[in-house]
Amino acid sequence: MSAILELKDVNKSFGGVQAVKDMSFVIETGELAGLIGPNGAGKTTIFNLVTGVYDVTSGEIEFKGKNINRLKTYQVISLGVARTFQNLRLFAASSVLDNVMTAAQQHYKYSFFEAVSHLGRWKSMEKATRDESMELLERVGLADRADQAAGNLPYGLQRRLEIARAISLRPDLLLLDEPAAGMNAEEVEQLNELIKLIHSDFNLTILLIEHHMDMVMEICPHIVCMNFGAKIAEGSPDEIQSHPEVLKAYLGEEE
Amino acid sequence: MIIQQVINGLSLGSVYALIAVGYSLVYSILLFSNFAHGGFLVIGGYICYFVLKGAGMNIWTASFAALIGAGVSAVIVERLAYKPIRERTPITLYMLIASMGMSIVIENIFVVTVGGRFRALPPVIPTQPVNFFGLATTSAFDLLSLVTAVVFLVGLQLFLSKTKWGLAIRAASYNLRTAGLMGVNVNRLISIVFFVAGLLAGVGGIFLSVRYTLYPQLGMITTKAFVAAVIGGLGSLPGAVVGSLILGLAEMLTAGFISSQFRDLVVFGLLIVTLIIRPTGLFGKSVGEKV
Amino acid sequence: MDGYTTGIITLLAINCIAALGVSLFTGFTGVFTLGHAGYMAIGAYTAAILTVQYEVNFIGAIIAGGILAMVFAYLIGIPTLKLVGDYYTIASLGLGEAIRLVIENWEGVTRGARGYPGIENYSTMPVALTFLVIMAVGMFFLVNSSFGRAFKACRDDYVAASLLGFNTAKFRVFSLAISGFYCGVSGALLGGFMSFIQPVMFDMAKSTELVSIVVFGGLGSMSGCLIGTTILTLVTEIFRPISQYRMLVYGLVLVLVMVLRPEGIMGTNELTKDYIKSIFSRRKKITAEDGGVR
Repeated sequence: MSAILELKDVNKSFGGVQAVKDMSFVIETGELAGLIGPNGAGKTTIFNLVTGVYDVTSGEIEFKGKNINRLKTYQVISLGVARTFQNLRLFAASSVLDNVMTAAQQHYKYSFFEAVSHLGRWKSMEKATRDESMELLERVGLADRADQAAGNLPYGLQRRLEIARAISLRPDLLLLDEPAAGMNAEEVEQLNELIKLIHSDFNLTILLIEHHMDMVMEICPHIVCMNFGAKIAEGSPDEIQSHPEVLKAYLGEEE
Repeated sequence: MIIQQVINGLSLGSVYALIAVGYSLVYSILLFSNFAHGGFLVIGGYICYFVLKGAGMNIWTASFAALIGAGVSAVIVERLAYKPIRERTPITLYMLIASMGMSIVIENIFVVTVGGRFRALPPVIPTQPVNFFGLATTSAFDLLSLVTAVVFLVGLQLFLSKTKWGLAIRAASYNLRTAGLMGVNVNRLISIVFFVAGLLAGVGGIFLSVRYTLYPQLGMITTKAFVAAVIGGLGSLPGAVVGSLILGLAEMLTAGFISSQFRDLVVFGLLIVTLIIRPTGLFGKSVGEKV
Repeated sequence: MDGYTTGIITLLAINCIAALGVSLFTGFTGVFTLGHAGYMAIGAYTAAILTVQYEVNFIGAIIAGGILAMVFAYLIGIPTLKLVGDYYTIASLGLGEAIRLVIENWEGVTRGARGYPGIENYSTMPVALTFLVIMAVGMFFLVNSSFGRAFKACRDDYVAASLLGFNTAKFRVFSLAISGFYCGVSGALLGGFMSFIQPVMFDMAKSTELVSIVVFGGLGSMSGCLIGTTILTLVTEIFRPISQYRMLVYGLVLVLVMVLRPEGIMGTNELTKDYIKSIFSRRKKITAEDGGVR
């Protein structure tokens, strides 16, 4: 197994604030890994650094062995990374199907002239995009809502849609930012099943930020824990659960 | 010669400053560009004209009426057009579009009611040449407008730093919602801000009517004040002043030494250069987005 | 059909073409512009100079006008579309004015503020309608394609769009370029309709008119754009004898739409069979609930 994502001594400062400090870890291809830490620890910043939304202050980020520091966001995505958001960023006014098609179309491109004339490959590529999107919606259980406005879906299904949209990019690495935020225990269970299903069926690597500890401990064999921008622990769920630094970060220092 | 153009430039710039500051003030609170700002200017000019001419009053009464009128009209515009929109959505685009509409409406109301012809204000503001320490000759008008602008800007500064509402406005310019949560009556605050902005625009309107004669499209000059505000940095009041002075000087020096045709092009040239190199201008707020 | 009616239809077609362009950029790509009259001006003057001075065939001149406007839009767009929100709008305002000023001052080529007379009357109704039909079909097809989805993504959430692999800057510039082409063609046709063009015909008022039409029709609806243009053009043409009201109408439209019904006439819906059906089925529901009182 080779490394799909590697961070080497990554630092990120915003003016005087150091958001990420000497961060290093390796995610192997095919893993289902978790990134945890208290609020403000810098986890989303890591995602933003990987996807090129922020530039690193120093250090290196390598994806599939290639340095991606200087790449723009859309370039990183086209190398095979996809991401969901803490605060949901669906195209609320567009339909469920359109949301997925907007991502799926990356694999069925045609030229401007074909678009303007509806000739050539337009028909076949549009059909392929639509078919693949519908199939994906079937797999995640959203096909019956294909024509509904994405913003009208119940919250849990919106999260599911965002994941479906990310997967339709056919990424090699999927970054999930707090996919279980705002969910109750039953919804978290369903999400666990979905994530495990995606991991096995779609042959991708998943790195997951989460606050629901039971979820992370249950599905992630490899966990990285952060606090104040730095890594404080890394290992298996058992190792993390008993790690003194982790306990200190979450529960505070014993008086 | 150069000193003359510099004084002219400063005088023109100071009038732009009155307009740009009001515009930036509104931007700093509501984070939107009020394109109708020019309308307040025109309203001030016309009130002054009609009070002077029609009612035969003196310049002080006329000015007072114009300023109050401009301020009140600004409050009315806000209440009628912007308040319903901002209460419904945080997206500023809709207010932007509405403001463009209001600008056209105000301009055309004057076209339709009083006609589009150029009107000269009765000559109650002195315009005779004044010898400036033997270095240059400038007109009393230029000096007067410069002094008046300074007086009003200082007055604004005092208002913002020494009064309770001034403090509220400064707080709101950092975060309107928080200011509201701290007990500030947001709607009243916004009305006060618009009143002040309108009033300042009115002063500018009076001087610009004398300089360029009064006509409904005079408000278009605010485009230059917008440029000044952008150069100085949208949302920054000192920036608006500095930007206006730079613009006034640039315009006058170009007109004096190159050609008056290039004057306006220089204005837009500066705008484009600023937007490409440093969109937030000299002192502006940069609004980042949280991902 | 008399001359007056054909004239109105021709003018309507000309306005529709420009409105389609602005609709793509503002309604579908989400960038608010106050300077698109500048692109009309480029198209108009290009076609005028080509037909009058170089005796170029008018169809070639119109297309050349569109292409030159498109090239300008593209070149201007690259540095300025990095700006977000209000900043771009102010820039577009400045740029529109700058284009007009350049035309006004470059008297050798454009005959300056006095205007450019003697343009051949090539914008007959069949010509204008042909251009409209072809360009409208192209536009509808475009927004119903992967490009349309890309533009909408850039409009709705450019961060999310870039995280779906879209080079949002490139798409916005592309959208601007296409809208520039449409406005250029429209301007060229306008020159051939009025036989005379003047810089002041392409000022901020004209740009605002274009935006007003698109907002009224619905930001994000091409059929709304055409409906809006038709209604507003007809309404203001009926007011033509009292042309000073025309701008007042456009201004009021902008304010009233924003305050009362910001989605305009059509919102983001297109005039399809399904949409028409849905209007009628809603009406039926109301009558049933009234118990047939109506």
